[in-house]
Amino acid sequence: MDFEQSPDRIVGTARVGSGQKKAPVPVKIIVAGGFGVGKTTTVGAISEISPLTTEAEMTSESVGIDDPGEATMKTTTTIAMDFGVLTIDQTLKLYIFGTPGQSRFAFMWDDLIKGALGALVVVDTSRIDDCYPAVDYFERAGLPFVVGVNTFNGQMSYSLDEVRWALAVRDEVPVLSYDARFRGSVRDALLVVLDQALDKAIRTKSS
Amino acid sequence: MTYPDPGDPEHPARPGVRPFLQSGQHRSSGGYRPSPREEAPPVDQQASALRPFVITSGRTDGADPDIGMETQVTINPSAVPIRLSPEMRAIVGLCGEPLSVAEISARLRLHLGVTRILVGDLRAAGQLDVHVLDNETPDPETIMRVIRGLRAIT
Repeated sequence: MDFEQSPDRIVGTARVGSGQKKAPVPVKIIVAGGFGVGKTTTVGAISEISPLTTEAEMTSESVGIDDPGEATMKTTTTIAMDFGVLTIDQTLKLYIFGTPGQSRFAFMWDDLIKGALGALVVVDTSRIDDCYPAVDYFERAGLPFVVGVNTFNGQMSYSLDEVRWALAVRDEVPVLSYDARFRGSVRDALLVVLDQALDKAIRTKSS
Repeated sequence: MTYPDPGDPEHPARPGVRPFLQSGQHRSSGGYRPSPREEAPPVDQQASALRPFVITSGRTDGADPDIGMETQVTINPSAVPIRLSPEMRAIVGLCGEPLSVAEISARLRLHLGVTRILVGDLRAAGQLDVHVLDNETPDPETIMRVIRGLRAIT
């Protein structure tokens, strides 16, 4: 643990007078999906900082073996959330939280969706069922979400229509493909999420 | 659950339908449902499997529900000097600039749950300002600003 050694015990008052900066308003988008589908790549592509990692609580229910499947080279996984930041302006900051999409991590989602704008559910077409719990959860929670098929392998085993059929999401839920490696592609996918969020916010406001 | 046959890229099997949609309500009961906010988790699920939170004096819950991962934290300029633990001192030291709870957790490599509890304690002790939002649900104007900001990046 890298705690700074402070010359004095009293840090709280050390910076009085430097002028208190007004804290920006934080907003957040969730990126959910199974292991190895490209959540961290997605977060890293759009974040202005290298994705940071925070460990979250584990309950006995959520202890399990992380199975990245045969299709990936990923051998180590941790119960950790990667997240990134994008400063919109001085008063507004966008946080992008990546979270595993399996149901045993759902204990984190109640906290995570509180105040969230929406979610991007990342799908790898070779392991499509990894994202079912996340889709179920966001549907039940009423959180606007978009299904994003990550094409970073350069190919898709299924068409978007087939993915939509398998997920059986409502017609209003966009199913799109994007490439997690490219900032522009991730940006466009997040813009679709925000579009859904805006729709919901306007509906909520007018009702 | 049907997995596609990777050796047959020309005619992949169709992926299975989401299980809870397949056969009515009784199948969906196993899924995780969003829990009402005020509801505490059942006692037998609490804490027993969590690693010991030594630096929170053993507390594993009791974190302020207002303190989310993205909640912004700053030092309280009018704080009365008090003696703090090294972890708390490190947190206060980071918050000269507004910082989110998640960033504090990541930068100090402190468990997220621990960070939330310590930030709550520091707030209660008057050392930190925790900027809790008035309206939890984002309003359309804010979302529009995010959209414009995102469109502007290349």
